[in-house]
Amino acid sequence: MSDMEFEIKIRSLAQEMEYPRTPDIAGSVTARLRPTTRPRFPSKALAWSLTIILVLCSSLMLIPPVRAAIIEFIQIGVVRIFPPEPTVQPITTATPESLAPITAAPSTSSLIPILEQMDGSTTLADAQEKVEYSILLPDYPSDLGPPDHVYIQNMDGDMVILVWLDRQNPEKILMSLHFVPNGSWAIKKMEPTVIDETTVNGERAIWTTGPYPMYLSNGDLQYKRLITGHVLIWGGLDVTYRLETDLSMEEAVKIAESLEPIQ
Amino acid sequence: MDESTLVRHAANGDATAWEPLVLAHQEAVFRLSYLLLGDPDDAEDVAQETFLRAWKHLKRFDPTRPLRPWLLSIASNLASNRRRSAGRYFAALTRAFRDEPASTTIEEKSSQHMQAKDLWKAVQTLNVPDQQIVYLRYFLDLSVAETAEVLQIAEGTVKSRLSRALEKLRTTIQQDFPVLFEGREA
Repeated sequence: MSDMEFEIKIRSLAQEMEYPRTPDIAGSVTARLRPTTRPRFPSKALAWSLTIILVLCSSLMLIPPVRAAIIEFIQIGVVRIFPPEPTVQPITTATPESLAPITAAPSTSSLIPILEQMDGSTTLADAQEKVEYSILLPDYPSDLGPPDHVYIQNMDGDMVILVWLDRQNPEKILMSLHFVPNGSWAIKKMEPTVIDETTVNGERAIWTTGPYPMYLSNGDLQYKRLITGHVLIWGGLDVTYRLETDLSMEEAVKIAESLEPIQ
Repeated sequence: MDESTLVRHAANGDATAWEPLVLAHQEAVFRLSYLLLGDPDDAEDVAQETFLRAWKHLKRFDPTRPLRPWLLSIASNLASNRRRSAGRYFAALTRAFRDEPASTTIEEKSSQHMQAKDLWKAVQTLNVPDQQIVYLRYFLDLSVAETAEVLQIAEGTVKSRLSRALEKLRTTIQQDFPVLFEGREA
Protein backbone atom coordinates (compact mmCIF):
# COMPACT_ATOMS: atom_id res chain seq x y z
CA MET A 1 0.00 0.00 0.00
CA SER A 2 1.45 3.38 -0.99
CA ASP A 3 1.75 6.22 1.52
CA MET A 4 -1.12 8.03 -0.17
CA GLU A 5 -3.37 4.97 -0.07
CA PHE A 6 -2.48 4.44 3.57
CA GLU A 7 -3.36 8.06 4.38
CA ILE A 8 -6.67 7.79 2.55
CA LYS A 9 -7.56 4.66 4.51
CA ILE A 10 -6.63 6.28 7.81
CA ARG A 11 -8.78 9.29 7.02
CA SER A 12 -11.67 7.12 5.91
CA LEU A 13 -11.54 4.95 9.04
CA ALA A 14 -11.14 7.94 11.34
CA GLN A 15 -14.34 9.42 9.98
CA GLU A 16 -16.17 6.29 11.17
CA MET A 17 -15.14 6.94 14.77
CA GLU A 18 -18.05 6.80 17.19
CA TYR A 19 -18.08 9.45 19.91
CA PRO A 20 -20.19 9.76 23.03
CA ARG A 21 -23.01 12.25 22.66
CA THR A 22 -21.62 15.76 23.14
CA PRO A 23 -22.85 17.00 26.51
CA ASP A 24 -24.42 20.41 27.01
CA ILE A 25 -21.14 22.27 27.41
CA ALA A 26 -22.75 25.61 26.50
CA GLY A 27 -25.31 25.27 29.29
CA SER A 28 -22.67 24.35 31.87
CA VAL A 29 -20.31 27.11 30.78
CA THR A 30 -23.07 29.73 30.82
CA ALA A 31 -24.12 28.59 34.29
CA ARG A 32 -20.54 28.86 35.54
CA LEU A 33 -20.09 32.31 34.01
CA ARG A 34 -23.24 33.69 35.60
CA PRO A 35 -21.95 33.96 39.19
CA THR A 36 -18.86 35.89 38.11
CA THR A 37 -20.70 39.18 38.63
CA ARG A 38 -20.62 38.46 42.37
CA PRO A 39 -17.47 38.09 44.46
CA ARG A 40 -16.18 34.56 44.05
CA PHE A 41 -15.76 34.16 47.77
CA PRO A 42 -17.34 36.00 50.68
CA SER A 43 -13.90 36.91 51.93
CA LYS A 44 -10.29 36.58 50.97
CA ALA A 45 -9.70 34.48 54.05
CA LEU A 46 -12.34 32.00 52.93
CA ALA A 47 -10.88 31.94 49.45
CA TRP A 48 -7.50 31.03 50.85
CA SER A 49 -9.08 28.40 53.09
CA LEU A 50 -10.87 26.79 50.16
CA THR A 51 -7.68 26.82 48.11
CA ILE A 52 -5.78 25.18 50.90
CA ILE A 53 -8.48 22.58 51.46
CA LEU A 54 -8.69 21.73 47.75
CA VAL A 55 -4.95 21.38 47.41
CA LEU A 56 -4.75 19.39 50.61
CA CYS A 57 -7.45 16.99 49.48
CA SER A 58 -5.78 16.35 46.15
CA SER A 59 -2.28 16.09 47.53
CA LEU A 60 -3.13 13.81 50.42
CA MET A 61 -4.32 11.26 47.89
CA LEU A 62 -0.74 11.05 46.68
CA ILE A 63 0.97 10.75 50.05
CA PRO A 64 1.27 7.31 51.62
CA PRO A 65 -0.82 7.28 54.82
CA VAL A 66 2.20 6.72 57.01
CA ARG A 67 3.79 9.92 55.71
CA ALA A 68 0.65 11.98 55.48
CA ALA A 69 0.50 15.04 57.66
CA ILE A 70 -1.77 18.04 57.74
CA ILE A 71 0.18 21.03 56.49
CA GLU A 72 -0.96 24.35 55.15
CA PHE A 73 0.29 25.83 51.94
CA ILE A 74 -0.73 28.07 49.09
CA GLN A 75 -0.62 26.81 45.54
CA ILE A 76 -0.61 28.69 42.29
CA GLY A 77 -0.04 26.68 39.16
CA VAL A 78 2.60 24.11 39.98
CA VAL A 79 4.15 26.22 42.72
CA ARG A 80 3.36 25.39 46.31
CA ILE A 81 4.23 27.88 49.03
CA PHE A 82 4.43 27.03 52.70
CA PRO A 83 3.95 30.32 54.54
CA PRO A 84 5.51 30.89 57.95
CA GLU A 85 2.14 32.19 59.16
CA PRO A 86 -1.26 30.92 58.05
CA THR A 87 -2.37 34.43 57.12
CA VAL A 88 -1.36 36.47 54.11
CA GLN A 89 0.82 39.40 55.11
CA PRO A 90 0.88 42.68 53.23
CA ILE A 91 4.14 44.26 52.16
CA THR A 92 4.69 47.23 54.42
CA THR A 93 8.07 48.51 53.35
CA ALA A 94 9.69 49.24 50.04
CA THR A 95 11.77 46.42 48.68
CA PRO A 96 15.48 47.08 48.90
CA GLU A 97 17.46 47.26 45.70
CA SER A 98 20.46 45.78 47.41
CA LEU A 99 19.09 42.25 47.58
CA ALA A 100 20.93 39.70 45.51
CA PRO A 101 18.76 38.83 42.58
CA ILE A 102 19.10 35.10 42.27
CA THR A 103 20.58 31.88 43.70
CA ALA A 104 22.42 31.10 46.87
CA ALA A 105 25.78 31.97 45.42
CA PRO A 106 27.54 34.77 47.30
CA SER A 107 26.81 38.08 45.65
CA THR A 108 30.46 38.79 45.16
CA SER A 109 31.09 35.66 43.11
CA SER A 110 30.42 35.49 39.41
CA LEU A 111 27.37 33.57 38.24
CA ILE A 112 28.58 33.27 34.68
CA PRO A 113 30.42 29.94 35.15
CA ILE A 114 27.25 28.49 36.70
CA LEU A 115 25.16 29.70 33.80
CA GLU A 116 27.61 28.29 31.29
CA GLN A 117 27.52 24.91 32.98
CA MET A 118 23.76 24.68 33.15
CA ASP A 119 22.25 21.94 31.05
CA GLY A 120 20.01 22.65 28.10
CA SER A 121 21.50 25.91 26.84
CA THR A 122 19.84 26.74 23.55
CA THR A 123 18.40 29.54 21.45
CA LEU A 124 14.97 31.12 21.67
CA ALA A 125 13.96 29.75 18.28
CA ASP A 126 15.05 26.23 19.16
CA ALA A 127 13.28 26.38 22.52
CA GLN A 128 10.07 27.57 20.90
CA GLU A 129 10.26 24.77 18.36
CA LYS A 130 10.58 22.21 21.13
CA VAL A 131 7.89 23.29 23.57
CA GLU A 132 4.15 23.11 23.05
CA TYR A 133 3.37 26.42 24.73
CA SER A 134 4.25 29.94 23.60
CA ILE A 135 7.44 31.41 25.00
CA LEU A 136 6.72 35.00 25.97
CA LEU A 137 9.17 37.89 26.12
CA PRO A 138 8.75 41.07 28.14
CA ASP A 139 8.12 44.28 26.26
CA TYR A 140 8.96 46.23 29.42
CA PRO A 141 11.33 47.85 30.11
CA SER A 142 11.64 48.92 26.49
CA ASP A 143 15.43 48.65 26.45
CA LEU A 144 15.54 45.17 27.95
CA GLY A 145 16.23 43.28 24.74
CA PRO A 146 16.30 39.52 24.26
CA PRO A 147 17.48 37.22 27.06
CA ASP A 148 21.21 36.62 27.40
CA HIS A 149 20.76 32.94 28.13
CA VAL A 150 18.02 30.46 27.18
CA TYR A 151 17.70 26.99 28.69
CA ILE A 152 15.30 24.17 28.10
CA GLN A 153 15.23 21.33 30.57
CA ASN A 154 13.14 18.36 29.65
CA MET A 155 11.98 16.23 32.50
CA ASP A 156 8.42 15.08 31.96
CA GLY A 157 7.64 18.50 30.55
CA ASP A 158 9.85 21.14 29.02
CA MET A 159 10.74 23.94 31.41
CA VAL A 160 12.18 26.99 29.68
CA ILE A 161 14.36 29.44 31.60
CA LEU A 162 15.27 32.85 30.22
CA VAL A 163 18.02 34.84 31.90
CA TRP A 164 18.84 38.53 31.51
CA LEU A 165 22.16 39.84 32.80
CA ASP A 166 22.58 43.22 34.43
CA ARG A 167 24.19 45.53 31.84
CA GLN A 168 25.85 47.59 34.54
CA ASN A 169 27.32 44.48 36.07
CA PRO A 170 27.34 41.64 33.53
CA GLU A 171 28.38 39.13 36.17
CA LYS A 172 25.10 39.72 37.95
CA ILE A 173 21.70 38.47 36.86
CA LEU A 174 19.03 41.12 36.38
CA MET A 175 16.16 38.66 36.26
CA SER A 176 15.16 35.19 35.19
CA LEU A 177 11.83 34.03 33.82
CA HIS A 178 10.80 30.40 34.17
CA PHE A 179 8.07 28.71 32.13
CA VAL A 180 6.97 25.64 34.03
CA PRO A 181 4.40 23.52 32.17
CA ASN A 182 1.53 22.58 34.42
CA GLY A 183 1.60 18.94 35.41
CA SER A 184 5.34 18.46 35.00
CA TRP A 185 7.69 19.94 37.54
CA ALA A 186 6.67 20.51 41.10
CA ILE A 187 8.10 23.49 42.87
CA LYS A 188 7.86 23.98 46.60
CA LYS A 189 8.80 27.17 48.32
CA MET A 190 9.59 26.96 51.99
CA GLU A 191 8.59 29.81 54.25
CA PRO A 192 9.42 32.94 52.29
CA THR A 193 9.58 35.96 54.55
CA VAL A 194 6.86 37.93 52.77
CA ILE A 195 3.92 36.63 50.80
CA ASP A 196 1.67 39.09 49.07
CA GLU A 197 -1.19 38.56 46.70
CA THR A 198 -1.40 40.65 43.54
CA THR A 199 -2.67 40.26 39.98
CA VAL A 200 -1.14 39.90 36.55
CA ASN A 201 -3.56 40.86 33.78
CA GLY A 202 -6.36 40.40 36.28
CA GLU A 203 -5.27 36.89 37.24
CA ARG A 204 -4.20 35.96 40.74
CA ALA A 205 -0.46 36.11 41.38
CA ILE A 206 1.79 35.62 44.38
CA TRP A 207 4.79 37.71 45.37
CA THR A 208 7.39 36.26 47.70
CA THR A 209 10.65 37.50 49.10
CA GLY A 210 13.52 35.54 50.56
CA PRO A 211 15.66 34.25 51.84
CA TYR A 212 14.18 30.78 51.79
CA PRO A 213 15.11 27.38 50.39
CA MET A 214 13.26 26.36 47.24
CA TYR A 215 12.77 22.72 46.28
CA LEU A 216 12.24 21.56 42.72
CA SER A 217 11.18 17.97 42.40
CA ASN A 218 10.31 15.68 39.55
CA GLY A 219 9.87 12.02 40.28
CA ASP A 220 12.91 10.77 42.14
CA LEU A 221 14.93 13.91 41.51
CA GLN A 222 14.92 16.80 43.92
CA TYR A 223 16.88 20.02 43.84
CA LYS A 224 17.31 22.60 46.56
CA ARG A 225 18.27 26.21 46.03
CA LEU A 226 18.37 29.20 48.36
CA ILE A 227 16.39 32.15 47.02
CA THR A 228 17.53 35.49 48.32
CA GLY A 229 15.58 37.74 45.95
CA HIS A 230 11.93 38.28 45.05
CA VAL A 231 9.73 36.03 42.98
CA LEU A 232 6.45 36.73 41.21
CA ILE A 233 4.40 33.63 40.37
CA TRP A 234 1.30 33.50 38.24
CA GLY A 235 -0.51 31.01 36.10
CA GLY A 236 -1.13 31.06 32.37
CA LEU A 237 -3.27 28.83 30.21
CA ASP A 238 -0.99 25.84 30.44
CA VAL A 239 2.13 27.21 32.05
CA THR A 240 3.06 28.59 35.45
CA TYR A 241 5.30 31.64 35.16
CA ARG A 242 7.97 32.47 37.70
CA LEU A 243 9.78 35.79 37.48
CA GLU A 244 12.79 36.14 39.77
CA THR A 245 14.33 39.59 40.19
CA ASP A 246 15.51 42.16 42.68
CA LEU A 247 13.08 44.73 41.30
CA SER A 248 10.00 45.82 43.25
CA MET A 249 6.69 44.00 43.03
CA GLU A 250 5.20 46.85 40.98
CA GLU A 251 8.03 46.61 38.44
CA ALA A 252 7.78 42.83 38.33
CA VAL A 253 4.05 43.04 37.64
CA LYS A 254 4.67 45.54 34.84
CA ILE A 255 7.19 43.15 33.30
CA ALA A 256 4.80 40.22 33.69
CA GLU A 257 1.94 42.12 32.09
CA SER A 258 4.13 43.11 29.14
CA LEU A 259 4.84 39.53 28.08
CA GLU A 260 4.18 38.86 24.42
CA PRO A 261 4.81 35.83 22.19
CA ILE A 262 8.08 35.77 20.26
CA GLN A 263 7.69 37.72 17.02
CA MET B 1 -24.13 38.02 13.84
CA ASP B 2 -20.85 36.58 12.52
CA GLU B 3 -18.19 34.92 14.64
CA SER B 4 -15.81 37.86 14.84
CA THR B 5 -18.61 40.19 15.99
CA LEU B 6 -19.69 37.68 18.63
CA VAL B 7 -16.08 37.35 19.78
CA ARG B 8 -15.78 41.13 20.10
CA HIS B 9 -18.98 41.31 22.17
CA ALA B 10 -17.88 38.39 24.34
CA ALA B 11 -14.46 39.95 24.87
CA ASN B 12 -16.27 42.97 26.29
CA GLY B 13 -17.95 40.75 28.87
CA ASP B 14 -21.16 39.84 27.05
CA ALA B 15 -21.80 36.23 28.12
CA THR B 16 -24.85 35.97 25.85
CA ALA B 17 -22.51 36.43 22.87
CA TRP B 18 -20.25 33.65 24.16
CA GLU B 19 -23.00 31.03 24.38
CA PRO B 20 -23.62 30.64 20.59
CA LEU B 21 -19.87 30.39 20.07
CA VAL B 22 -19.68 27.59 22.63
CA LEU B 23 -22.58 25.87 20.91
CA ALA B 24 -20.85 26.16 17.55
CA HIS B 25 -17.56 24.66 18.71
CA GLN B 26 -18.42 22.45 21.67
CA GLU B 27 -18.62 19.27 19.61
CA ALA B 28 -15.13 19.64 18.10
CA VAL B 29 -13.63 20.60 21.46
CA PHE B 30 -15.35 17.72 23.26
CA ARG B 31 -14.35 15.20 20.58
CA LEU B 32 -10.70 16.20 20.58
CA SER B 33 -10.66 16.02 24.39
CA TYR B 34 -12.31 12.60 24.25
CA LEU B 35 -9.79 11.31 21.72
CA LEU B 36 -6.89 12.54 23.84
CA LEU B 37 -8.26 11.37 27.19
CA GLY B 38 -10.43 8.39 26.31
CA ASP B 39 -13.02 9.18 28.95
CA PRO B 40 -16.23 11.16 28.34
CA ASP B 41 -16.33 12.62 31.86
CA ASP B 42 -12.75 13.85 31.60
CA ALA B 43 -13.48 15.16 28.13
CA GLU B 44 -16.52 17.09 29.36
CA ASP B 45 -14.46 18.65 32.17
CA VAL B 46 -11.73 19.69 29.76
CA ALA B 47 -14.23 21.05 27.24
CA GLN B 48 -15.88 23.17 29.92
CA GLU B 49 -12.55 24.41 31.19
CA THR B 50 -11.50 25.22 27.63
CA PHE B 51 -14.41 27.58 27.10
CA LEU B 52 -14.02 29.15 30.54
CA ARG B 53 -10.32 29.79 29.99
CA ALA B 54 -10.93 31.11 26.50
CA TRP B 55 -13.57 33.45 27.92
CA LYS B 56 -11.09 34.76 30.48
CA HIS B 57 -8.43 35.42 27.86
CA LEU B 58 -10.65 36.62 25.01
CA LYS B 59 -9.18 40.11 25.12
CA ARG B 60 -5.87 38.64 23.99
CA PHE B 61 -7.48 36.85 21.05
CA ASP B 62 -7.50 38.48 17.63
CA PRO B 63 -11.20 38.43 16.63
CA THR B 64 -10.34 38.47 12.94
CA ARG B 65 -8.89 34.97 13.27
CA PRO B 66 -11.02 31.82 13.35
CA LEU B 67 -11.88 30.79 16.90
CA ARG B 68 -11.87 27.01 16.50
CA PRO B 69 -8.08 26.46 16.18
CA TRP B 70 -7.48 28.56 19.28
CA LEU B 71 -10.10 26.63 21.26
CA LEU B 72 -8.67 23.31 20.09
CA SER B 73 -5.21 24.48 21.07
CA ILE B 74 -6.41 25.26 24.60
CA ALA B 75 -8.27 21.95 24.81
CA SER B 76 -5.24 20.05 23.60
CA ASN B 77 -3.00 21.63 26.23
CA LEU B 78 -5.53 21.11 29.00
CA ALA B 79 -5.99 17.49 27.99
CA SER B 80 -2.24 16.93 27.94
CA ASN B 81 -1.96 18.38 31.44
CA ARG B 82 -4.83 16.26 32.64
CA ARG B 83 -3.25 13.11 31.29
CA ARG B 84 -0.39 13.71 33.68
CA SER B 85 -2.51 14.56 36.68
CA ALA B 86 -3.15 12.32 39.63
CA GLY B 87 -6.87 12.77 39.17
CA ARG B 88 -6.73 11.10 35.82
CA TYR B 89 -4.72 8.25 37.28
CA PHE B 90 -7.40 7.61 39.85
CA ALA B 91 -10.13 7.97 37.24
CA ALA B 92 -8.37 5.37 35.11
CA LEU B 93 -8.18 3.03 38.08
CA THR B 94 -11.89 3.53 38.71
CA ARG B 95 -12.71 2.86 35.08
CA ALA B 96 -10.65 -0.32 35.18
CA PHE B 97 -13.09 -1.73 37.71
CA ARG B 98 -16.21 -0.71 35.80
CA ASP B 99 -18.11 -3.42 34.02
CA GLU B 100 -18.27 -3.11 30.27
CA PRO B 101 -21.74 -1.88 29.29
CA ALA B 102 -23.93 -4.69 27.99
CA SER B 103 -24.55 -2.84 24.74
CA THR B 104 -20.91 -2.87 23.67
CA THR B 105 -20.96 -6.34 22.19
CA ILE B 106 -19.29 -6.99 18.90
CA GLU B 107 -22.56 -8.03 17.30
CA GLU B 108 -24.14 -4.67 18.01
CA LYS B 109 -21.32 -2.63 16.54
CA SER B 110 -20.74 -2.23 12.89
CA SER B 111 -17.52 -3.51 11.45
CA GLN B 112 -16.47 -0.03 10.40
CA HIS B 113 -16.99 1.39 13.85
CA MET B 114 -14.99 -1.45 15.35
CA GLN B 115 -12.19 -0.80 12.90
CA ALA B 116 -12.28 2.89 13.73
CA LYS B 117 -11.95 1.98 17.38
CA ASP B 118 -8.99 -0.26 16.59
CA LEU B 119 -7.43 2.61 14.69
CA TRP B 120 -7.93 4.80 17.75
CA LYS B 121 -6.19 2.16 19.88
CA ALA B 122 -3.31 2.14 17.42
CA VAL B 123 -3.05 5.94 17.50
CA GLN B 124 -3.01 5.83 21.30
CA THR B 125 0.29 3.94 21.17
CA LEU B 126 1.95 6.98 19.58
CA ASN B 127 3.44 9.77 21.65
CA VAL B 128 1.16 12.66 22.54
CA PRO B 129 2.36 15.15 19.88
CA ASP B 130 1.87 12.48 17.20
CA GLN B 131 -1.57 11.64 18.57
CA GLN B 132 -2.56 15.31 18.52
CA ILE B 133 -1.60 15.80 14.92
CA VAL B 134 -3.36 12.61 13.75
CA TYR B 135 -6.54 13.46 15.65
CA LEU B 136 -6.65 16.99 14.31
CA ARG B 137 -5.89 16.08 10.72
CA TYR B 138 -7.84 12.85 10.26
CA PHE B 139 -10.37 12.43 13.06
CA LEU B 140 -11.47 16.08 13.19
CA ASP B 141 -10.66 16.58 9.51
CA LEU B 142 -8.84 19.89 9.96
CA SER B 143 -6.84 21.29 7.08
CA VAL B 144 -3.06 21.52 7.25
CA ALA B 145 -3.37 25.28 7.85
CA GLU B 146 -5.87 24.79 10.69
CA THR B 147 -3.74 22.06 12.23
CA ALA B 148 -0.73 24.36 12.07
CA GLU B 149 -2.69 27.08 13.83
CA VAL B 150 -3.85 24.73 16.59
CA LEU B 151 -0.35 23.43 17.22
CA GLN B 152 1.25 26.84 16.62
CA ILE B 153 3.76 25.43 14.17
CA ALA B 154 4.48 26.03 10.49
CA GLU B 155 2.45 24.21 7.83
CA GLY B 156 5.61 22.55 6.58
CA THR B 157 6.26 21.25 10.08
CA VAL B 158 2.72 19.84 10.19
CA LYS B 159 3.40 17.91 6.98
CA SER B 160 6.74 16.54 8.14
CA ARG B 161 5.42 15.59 11.60
CA LEU B 162 2.36 14.02 10.04
CA SER B 163 4.50 11.99 7.69
CA ARG B 164 6.59 10.67 10.60
CA ALA B 165 3.47 9.97 12.68
CA LEU B 166 1.90 8.01 9.83
CA GLU B 167 5.07 6.02 9.41
CA LYS B 168 4.99 5.03 13.08
CA LEU B 169 1.27 4.32 12.85
CA ARG B 170 1.75 2.04 9.88
CA THR B 171 4.39 0.06 11.79
CA THR B 172 2.10 -0.21 14.82
CA ILE B 173 -0.82 -1.39 12.70
CA GLN B 174 1.33 -3.97 10.93
CA GLN B 175 2.63 -5.32 14.23
CA ASP B 176 -0.37 -5.07 16.54
CA PHE B 177 -3.47 -4.62 14.38
CA PRO B 178 -2.71 -6.64 11.23
CA VAL B 179 -6.37 -7.31 10.51
CA LEU B 180 -7.32 -3.66 10.64
CA PHE B 181 -7.36 -3.12 6.90
CA GLU B 182 -8.06 -6.61 5.72
CA GLY B 183 -11.84 -6.30 5.85
CA ARG B 184 -11.87 -2.95 4.11
CA GLU B 185 -9.64 -4.00 1.26
CA ALA B 186 -11.89 -6.91 0.38
